[in-house]
This record gives sequence, C-alpha cells and structure tokens, in this order.
Amino acid sequence: MTKIATTLPSLLSDIGAFYNAREWHFLSVNGIDLGEGKIELQWIFSKYGVKDEIVIYFALSDYETPVPSIVSLIPSSVMGEREIVDMFGLKVEGTEKGLYLDEDSLPHPLRGES
Amino acid sequence: MKKTIQIPLGSQHISLLEPIRFKFECENEKIIGVDADVGFVHRGVELACTRSFEFKQVGYVVARVCGLCAITHSLSYTLAVEKLLGYEANDRIKYLRMLMVELDRIHSHMLCLAHTAENAGFEALFMQIMGDRELIMDVQEAISGNRVQFDYISIGGVNRDLTPELTALVHKNLSSLSEKIDVLMTLFDNNWSLSLKYKGIGILKLEDAYTYNALGPLARAAGLATDVRAETNDFPYEALGYKMILESTGDIHARNFVRLREIVNSIEMCRNIIDNLPSGEIQEKTKGKPNGEAVVRVEAPRGELFYLVRGNGQNMLERVRIKTPTFSAIPAMMEVFKGSEYADAPAILASFDPCMSCTAK
Repeated sequence: MTKIATTLPSLLSDIGAFYNAREWHFLSVNGIDLGEGKIELQWIFSKYGVKDEIVIYFALSDYETPVPSIVSLIPSSVMGEREIVDMFGLKVEGTEKGLYLDEDSLPHPLRGES
Repeated sequence: MKKTIQIPLGSQHISLLEPIRFKFECENEKIIGVDADVGFVHRGVELACTRSFEFKQVGYVVARVCGLCAITHSLSYTLAVEKLLGYEANDRIKYLRMLMVELDRIHSHMLCLAHTAENAGFEALFMQIMGDRELIMDVQEAISGNRVQFDYISIGGVNRDLTPELTALVHKNLSSLSEKIDVLMTLFDNNWSLSLKYKGIGILKLEDAYTYNALGPLARAAGLATDVRAETNDFPYEALGYKMILESTGDIHARNFVRLREIVNSIEMCRNIIDNLPSGEIQEKTKGKPNGEAVVRVEAPRGELFYLVRGNGQNMLERVRIKTPTFSAIPAMMEVFKGSEYADAPAILASFDPCMSCTAK
C-alpha cells in the first residue's frame, strides 16, 4: 500500500495526472475523523492485473472546507462522495445529502463529536 | 422535443428482493435517464464498529452486513485485523477459510441464477435452482453449525474443524451439484424463450465497464479481466485451480454464464482444498491490539469487497471502512439501463445480483 499526500486545491490535478481508467480501478472515497474538527480524506485505487498494488491519495482537511468533486475524472466516485456528505457532513461540490440519511437522522454520524 | 414520462421501479416491487428505488425517465418504452435511491436499509454498521463493539467482537458485527456473503465480510475484517496484529494464519486455516468463501460464492451465484430465471417467467426453473442450492446450504450448515450467519471465521483461525464425515458430505454434495450445473448450463444456453430474455439485453460495453469501474461478474461478463482472487496474495488460489472466467458480450446471458462457469471452477477448487488440506491447528493465539492502518480486498460473490481498518492500540477501533461490491456497481448499473426497454428492467436488475443490505450497511 502506497500513501501519497495531496491537498484539496491540487486534488483534481494530482488525480488527473495519476488516473488511467484502463490501468487503475477506483475503489472508494473514505473519510477518517481525526478529532478536534480535523478529517483525513482518502481516494483509493488498485491496479488491474497486479497483486496487492494499492495507492491511496490522502488530504487533511476540516469540516467546513469544500471538497472538490472528482466525478469529472471518475464518474463512479459519485457514490463515495455522496456517502462522505452524509456521514461526515462535508460539502462536496455538486453533491447533495440524502444517500443514506433522512431529514431526521443524525446529521453526521461518523464525526468524532457525534 | 419528445414527451417523456417518469416511471418508478421500487422501493417495493414484485421483481425486487430488497428495497431499492430506480426512477426511470422513459421515452415511450425506452429508458433514457435513471436515478437510484439505495439507502432504505441503512443501519450504521460502520459507526457501531467503532463506538459499540471492541475489535474482537467486530468480526461478528460485520457478518451481519449481509446474509449472503457473511463469510466474506467476516474474512475481510479478520484479515485486516490480523495484518495489524502481525499475524499470518497457517495453511490449514487458510484452506478452510477459502473453502467456506467458495461455497458462499456457489450458493450466492445460484440464488442470482434462480432470480434471473424467475424474472424471465420460469417459475419452475427458479424452484429447481433453489432446490439444488440446498446442497451447498446443507454443507455450509454442517461445517459451520449455522445456516445463514455462519460466524465461522475468527481472529487467529476458524471456529470448527473439518472431520472425515464432513469431508465425505462435501464430496457427495459437490458431485450431485456438478451434474445439476451441467444441466443448467445446457438450459441457459439453448432454451429459446430464455435466450429472448437474456441475449443482447442489458449490455454493459467493455469501455463503459472501465469508465464506471464495474467489478465482479458484471465486469468479467463485459470482458474486463479483474478478480481480486488474481490480484492479491492472501490465499493460494492459483495452486488450487483458480481460473479467471471471462465472457465478452456483456449482456444478461454473459452474466449468467460467468456465474455458471464460476460455480464449476469453485466446485473444482473446493474439491482440491479438501483433498489437499494441510495439517495444523485451526485456532492460534494472537497477541496485542490493532495499531496502524490496514486494507484488505476479497472477491465476494458480487465482486470486490474492501475493508480499511485503523486502530490505535486500544480495544476500540478508530475506523472501519466497508466498501461493498453493489455500492460500487450502482453507476455501471445505471449506465446499462439507459437505452434499454422498460419491460426488460426487472430481468436486467436481477442479473446484476444487487445486494442492498450490503450497499446501505
């Protein structure tokens, strides 16, 4: 597993330079609450036909900073982006709440403070 | 501009086993747009894994994510924790775990085949396949002691050993099933009515499979050569006869045949596993508490199941991320619907073998 640091402003250019749909399988978007309002965001890839080659781009952020959407590069990322909007209460460009949660659900259940 | 109408399918529909709602935008009978609502059975499993249960209990919690691939969930989580503990299972444990995962694949594929037959109007075939599937359910129950929630895999091993009597039962039932699968393959390939429902219907093109990151039988039916069993070193799959099954047409027929041929391959692997079962303990002691971050991929019946586990040396974990196959496949499924006839939607949906319990978790 290789972890590569990125930042939210450079996310699109970094993943755009890295990702080739014929070579890499996009696994998931993930969030990990670090406490004190901080969050680690991850974009996870595996390589087709190669054993145990996983690359994770990660960026440190907070609850308020809008997260760029990578749907223009990887259409299937829409599910993961909708999930982190619900689970962590983040703002992702062009993405609305409501994949899992209803209006009366916990607002962001996977935040440390919840 | 032509007039369009919106037609819902689900969340409760005669062709659905689990709640999902598609909103189809149709031009006459043709689907031109799709939206999906997948969150009807969200249970907050990821939250429960870090707030309500200690790491030794979580393997039994994640098994409840899905009633069909419970073994695969508990295996994925267990492998991740074992990596964090610096433990690698002995060969006997690996073989027994592989045996249960492949048995799980067989009965899950048969359930999907039964439902695609049902959606084509073949009720008798549905009943026949479900009856044949009992051969595997009986074997899993005999080995694990449970029929659905097996709770067979635990950190450091498995919970029950394979006795000579059980080995004989596995051989007997696999032989019976093998003959029945041959009959099913002939039927699915040659029956004229089934071919009208399956051939050329619900096509996922190879290019779209790459673009939308299709996985599992959905991807392999379109010719995309991806299977976690060939992309990880956690288990000796090649040594036990694993073959990647590929089709090329990407339609319902191809998805059925990927599943049928994978059943044949899984039967072969199960026989090889029990014929070459290494000696050793079935439960070993592990030390310490999970510290660090580990990722695990396992090929579930519907495709890649992914777990990320992060611990900090305490009993409670910091994060358990579960990415299930159907969750990832939703964008590819929606693409397949576009351009299809509305009347074909139930059969197409059944051929995806969607698991909403996994998806919403």
